[in-house]
Amino acid sequence: MRLALGYVPLVDAAALIVAVEGGFAAEEGLRIDLVRESSWATLRDKLALGLLDGAHMLAPLAIASALGISGPETRLAVPLGLNLNGNAVTVSRPLWSAMDPGSEDLDIVARAFGRVARDRAGQGRPLTLGTVHPFSSHTYQLGLFAARGGLDLEAAVRMVVIPPPRIAEALQAGHIDGFCVGSPWNGLAVEAGYGRIAAFGCEIAPDCPEKVLALPADAAASVGLVRAVSRAGRWCADPRNHDDLALLLASPHHLGIAPALVRRALAGTVVVDADGTRREAPDFVSFGVAVERPRIAQVDWFLERMAAAGQITLTPALTERARALYRPDLYDGAIG
Amino acid sequence: MTEPSLTVAVIDPSPARAAILEEGLAAAGIARVVILPDTADLSARVAALNPDVVVIHVESPSRDILEQMSGLSRHVERPVAMFVDRSDVPMMQAAVDAGISAYVVDGLHPQRIRSILDVAILRFNAFARLQRELLEARGELADRKLIERAKGILMTAKGMPEEEAYRLMRRKAMNEKRKIADIARAIVTAADLLG
Repeated sequence: MRLALGYVPLVDAAALIVAVEGGFAAEEGLRIDLVRESSWATLRDKLALGLLDGAHMLAPLAIASALGISGPETRLAVPLGLNLNGNAVTVSRPLWSAMDPGSEDLDIVARAFGRVARDRAGQGRPLTLGTVHPFSSHTYQLGLFAARGGLDLEAAVRMVVIPPPRIAEALQAGHIDGFCVGSPWNGLAVEAGYGRIAAFGCEIAPDCPEKVLALPADAAASVGLVRAVSRAGRWCADPRNHDDLALLLASPHHLGIAPALVRRALAGTVVVDADGTRREAPDFVSFGVAVERPRIAQVDWFLERMAAAGQITLTPALTERARALYRPDLYDGAIG
Repeated sequence: MTEPSLTVAVIDPSPARAAILEEGLAAAGIARVVILPDTADLSARVAALNPDVVVIHVESPSRDILEQMSGLSRHVERPVAMFVDRSDVPMMQAAVDAGISAYVVDGLHPQRIRSILDVAILRFNAFARLQRELLEARGELADRKLIERAKGILMTAKGMPEEEAYRLMRRKAMNEKRKIADIARAIVTAADLLG
C-alpha cells in the first residue's frame, strides 16, 4: 500500500522520518511518500481533504481539527504519540538583560520575566511573544511560564505566530521579544547570537505531550503503520543511534541545518547563551516506548489548557468528542 | 463581477504568481488588490491594510500567522477566519489543489468570496500550466542541442554527411523503441568516456 504522510521539519518528526528512511515501513509492506509541509494550517487542511493519508501533528491541533474549531471538522484518529517535550522558551538578549535573573532556576527566571512584562505593559509597550500555532503546546507552555511568574499572559503580553524558520530573524529585527518553539529552532537563535534560552518546555510542563501521529478515522493501513512508527520511535530513543539520527534529520531534504544542533537536542545538552553555557536536561525531548501510547489524560490536559487560553468553553459533550480522537485501543491492537 | 468596495490582500512566495493573480482580480473588478510581502511582520501589515479577503498560497509558511489572527486570541487587531464552506468540499479541494487558501473577514457574503476563489483557481492553474510548458520547452531545447552534438560525433567518427548521421540515429531509435534524444545521449556519453 502506498501512503502520503505529511510532516513539518522538526526534530520531533524523527520517528516518522525513520519509519520511512530506516525501512521499518517497508517491512510492513508500506510504501510511504513523506511530504514536507511549510505550515501547520496546510498540513491540517490536506489531511482534512484526503490529500494526505496521515501526518506528524501538533497534538492540540489534531484535537482542534477533530472538533472543527481549526479548519474543517475532520474525523481523525490518534493511535500513537510521537514524542514528549522538545520545546523551549527563548528571549531576546535585551530582554534577558532586563530580566537579569542571575540564575537558571525556573521560578526565579519566570518571576524576572513577569516583572519585566508587567513593567512594559504598564508603560503601554507590552512585550510580544511568538508561538507556532494557536493550538500548540507552545502557546500553553508560554501561558504556564507566565503564570509561574505571577503574570496573566493574555492580559499583559501580545501573542503572535511566527513560522519557526523566521523566528531568529524576527527576534533580531525586534518584531518579537521572545518565543516558544521546538527543536532545533531555539538552538539556532542562540547560535545566531540573538537569543537566550530562558526555560525548557520539560521544566514548565514535565512530560508534555507534543506531536502525535494523526490518521483519518477510517485509515485501513493503521496497524502496519503504527507498528512501523513505534519501532522507529524505539530506534530514535536509543542513544547509540543518535549520531546517525542527527545526520538524517539535519540533511537538506529534511531540516537543512548543522547536525550538531540536532545532536545536542537529542542528548539533552543544550547551549543556552552566546557564551556557550550548557544545561543538561535528560528529558529535553523524549521518544520511544514510554511516550507512544495515547492517553486520555493527555486530551483532558489539553482541553483544560485550551479553556484557560480562551479558545474553547468546556462542556461534557465537547470533552467526549475530543476524547474519542485518542485511540489507545488501536495502539494496543497493533503493538499489544 | 464588479466589487468596487472590496480590498483583497495577496500573499505568495512566488512574485510572478502573485502578479498574475493581482492582474486577474483587478480584471474581475476588485477595486483594490495589494500584494503583501511574505515576511515576519506580516500580521502587522495585514492589520494595517485591513483587507476584506486574504488569498494566500498554501505553501506559504505565513499561513500559520493568519491562523493566529482568526479571533482565537484576545489581542487580534483584525480578526479573519479561514474560508471553509462545508457545503462545498469540491471547491475547497480545487482551491488547495491549485495552491490557494483564503481568509475572510467575518460577515462577508460567501458568494463574494467564492467568485474571488474562482478567479484565483483559474489564474493559479494557468500559471502552473505555463510553468510546465516552460519546463517542457527547456527540455526540448536541451534535447535538440544533444542531438546536434551526437550528429557531429557521428559525422567525425564515421565520416558521414549530416543527413545520414541523423537517419542513423532515427533508425536506431525506431528499432529500439526509444527517443532520438536517448540515442543521442548514449552517443555523447560514450564519446565522453572514450575521449
